[in-house]
Formats: sequence, structure tokens, C-alpha cells
Amino acid sequence: MPDRLYRMERPENLRVAHLDSFTAVYHRNSGITHLITAPAPEILATLGEAGMTFTALRETLASAYELGDLDDAALAARLDELVAAGLVSTA
Amino acid sequence: MRHVFSVRIGPVGFRIGSDWRAPIAQLESLYADYPAPRDGVPDFNVRLFAARPWRRFMRPAVMIGGDFVLPEAAPLPLAQGLLAAEMGMNLQMALGQRRFLLLHASVVERDGRALLMTGISGAGKSTLAALLGARGWRLMGDEFALVDPESGAIHAFPRLVSLKNEAIGVVEAGVPGGRFGPLLAGTPKGDIRHLVPEAAALAAMDKPAEPALILFPRFGFDPAERDVLPSEVFVRLTQASTNYVAIGERGFDALTRIVKTVPARAIDYPDTDSAIAQVEALWAAL
Amino acid sequence: MSDDAQNDPPKGATSRRALMLGAVGASAIVSIRPALAQTAASVVTCEIPVPDPGRAGNYIAADGSLVPAGTHGAFAPAGKAFKGEDVRIALGGGQLPGTSYEQSRAYTNYIRRLQSGTSGFTCFASLQMPRG
Repeated sequence: MPDRLYRMERPENLRVAHLDSFTAVYHRNSGITHLITAPAPEILATLGEAGMTFTALRETLASAYELGDLDDAALAARLDELVAAGLVSTA
Repeated sequence: MRHVFSVRIGPVGFRIGSDWRAPIAQLESLYADYPAPRDGVPDFNVRLFAARPWRRFMRPAVMIGGDFVLPEAAPLPLAQGLLAAEMGMNLQMALGQRRFLLLHASVVERDGRALLMTGISGAGKSTLAALLGARGWRLMGDEFALVDPESGAIHAFPRLVSLKNEAIGVVEAGVPGGRFGPLLAGTPKGDIRHLVPEAAALAAMDKPAEPALILFPRFGFDPAERDVLPSEVFVRLTQASTNYVAIGERGFDALTRIVKTVPARAIDYPDTDSAIAQVEALWAAL
Repeated sequence: MSDDAQNDPPKGATSRRALMLGAVGASAIVSIRPALAQTAASVVTCEIPVPDPGRAGNYIAADGSLVPAGTHGAFAPAGKAFKGEDVRIALGGGQLPGTSYEQSRAYTNYIRRLQSGTSGFTCFASLQMPRG
């Protein structure tokens, strides 16, 4: 896990609409619509197309946001969710 | 199919073929003021047929077929043939409609703006639409709201209003002079009676309207209202849509546009008079 | 991203915005499940939840209508969704597995009232429709 690169799905594969605390995301390849809420949009924006390792993501989020008690398991769960939804790919 | 009836309802034309004369006669009567399909070409076909040749005569049972079918659906007795035809048309829309985003909602219009009412069965969508239709609103439909994905406009689809059980009496009393179909007792959904939309509603069936308010009504509670946030409206409308997924990105664009631009309220109401007052007040406050 | 609005905090801001990561078992994603996903699938394997997950807090009265939780004489939600084949048998006069006679009747009445757009409607509609 430490060395794997997590990247956001390519922008041309997504259609995004900001609603309220939820953001609606249409994933073109699967045709599935996801409603995502914090911290998922923040994680996606942080990973970007270039992607990051888990460690880099954690550190970037911790410096950009007030994360409180940072929990690796929770961050991993959020990442796994995004991967399962096809919004994040693992290089 | 020895008996045939064709009709256009808003932008959708249907051709209904039947092994029996009776349901066709009822359709001809109730849909007498509706236009024919454009250029005579229907968008969908519905077939009312007997499963076996002798079932045309012995305990006649109407099977529902058409361009789109549900496998293993049970037939209805011939006395409910009109219901079979209506269900057949619903089925074509639910399974086959691709041009419009379909929302399971009733729609009424005033001043070019549309009010959509959506929710679970028994919430009162058809009842309220029928009553509002007799109180200065134009009925655009009681079953399906047709959303044009390109423009966001709601297109009218004013079928016969389907009233069930207690709603029948409420609407009979609330729309004196209304034209009703036969009482169909003992159907799988209880007693059903259809109301023909008013002449003005039929005359205006080709006029779309801009959605201006979405309501989630709930019957049988003290009057109450709350705002519904766009994300909740989005999820509830996908649950109320039979073709959101099938029409892909167009559906996403149409629905996100609606939830971001059209206000939504959940209203609880104890009786229809209260509901109508709440609707009028919310509309005036827009 | 073809985005309508950005949510990023200003870089180098002196106070950072709080961000909750959530619990391990929680979820930050709701995926829209198609209501007609089961149209083409086998009737036997399709499932009907009682009640629809969107109304999970409600109880089911004897006539199948949804009532507030704890209503006297009404039944708690079924713990699991019922398979199409079991529902077909129940609609024909049998009993839903794992339920008492009254429970099964209440659940079956609920299923009969399912409307287009709720989970399980397509499964129900593709079963034998009840005559009574």
C-alpha cells in the first residue's frame, strides 16, 4: 500500500455537479451516478490526475486541513471506497 | 388484433390492439377528445391478448403485451380490460421512454410554471392533481412528469387520472361535473376509477412548462412543511424515475439542473383542503 | 473536472478548515442504484426489501401500509429482503419464510402496494400479480 499511486479518475471521464454538502458525480465509463460528501471531494482534488501515494496524501491533507485525530484506517477506508466506485485508480 | 385504438397523449403516441371489443370501446369513449398519433405513427404498441384462443371466451383473461413487456405478469379479468390498457401504456413508458427523463410525479401548471408532486403510493399525488386541476390549475399529468433533458422543460402527459380506493370518493365530491370512467372494483390495487382531464387541459397538452416547485406530500399527518435540500431531492427523484439510469448522462444533466434550480418542500397534510391551502401558500411565496 | 464550484481552501490560509475523515464503517459515497436493474434478471433471484430502504424507519400495518415505528398492531421491518420466488409463493397463499402468519400477511400486503420507483417494484411486477 505505501508505494501505490492513487490517482483521480481522468476529468474527461467524469461529469460533476456541486449540489450542497453533496457533490453529484457521473462516471461516464460505468454510467453510474455517485453522490459524494466530505472528505471524498477533498481527497479527489488533492490526489489530482498526477496522483499520490497514501503517505503523501495523508501528509498533504494534514497540512491543508485540520484533521483532528488522523486515523490511517479511516483514510484507507475512504480511499478504498473511491477506488471501488471507480473514481480513483491505483497505478 | 381485431380491435384497434390509437391515441396521442402529449408527445407520445400509442396504438392499442385488443382481442376484445369492450376495452377498446371504453378507450374510444374516455379518450374521445384526444388527438391521434402524429402522422398516424405510434411511438409504442400495447397488446391486450388472450393467452390461449379459448380464453377469449371462457373466463376471459387479458394478458398485457406490447413493445415492452414484463415477464410472467398475470392477466386481468376482461371486466378490468381498461385497467390493462392503462397499465400497458404505463409499462411502455416505464421501460421504453428514452427521449424524456421520466419522474413518477403528478404535474399541474399555472402561468407557464409547473408544480411537481412526487412520493410513495398513497401520498396523494393523483388526488391533489385532480382537485387542483378543477381549481384553476392545468393538469399536465398524474403519473409521469416528462422532463426534456435539453431544455429542462416539463412536457404534459395528461392521461386519464387514476384514482384508487378512498381517493375516488374524494375526487367525485371535489370535481362535480367531472367525467369519470367505470368503477373497476377488486383490482390488484383495490378499487380504481379514472377521471378524464378537463377540455382545457387536453387542448393545452402540447404546451410545456418550466418547473417551479417540487413537493413531497405525505397524507395523514398534521400540517407541516420543511425544505428539502438538493442532494435529498436528487436521490428521491432517482428513486422516482424509471429511466434515469437508462438515459445516461442526459439524465444526470437534467436532474442536477432541476435540483439546483427548483425549490423543493416536503409537506404533511391531514386532508385535501389543507393540502390545497398549503400548495397555494407555497406557490404564492415563490 | 467540469465543475460548477470549487471547494478547495485557500492555500497558505492561517486557519485551516476542519475535515472529518469519518469512521471506518461509515461511507462518504452514495451510489444511485437503478430501480429497474432487475428487469432482465431471473425472477427467482430478484429481491424485495420490506420496507423500501428509503422508508426503513417505518412499521408495516396489517393492510400493508406504512405506519410510524412502534405503532400498536403493526410489524417491524423484515430483517432481510425476500426472494422473488418466496414472494410468488406468498402471493399465491403461502407464507413468507421466517415470518408468522400475520406478519407474512402484512408484508405481502405491503408488497402488493409497491409502486413504480421503489426498490423491488420491478421484481414484484415481474411476479404473478395477485387476484385478490
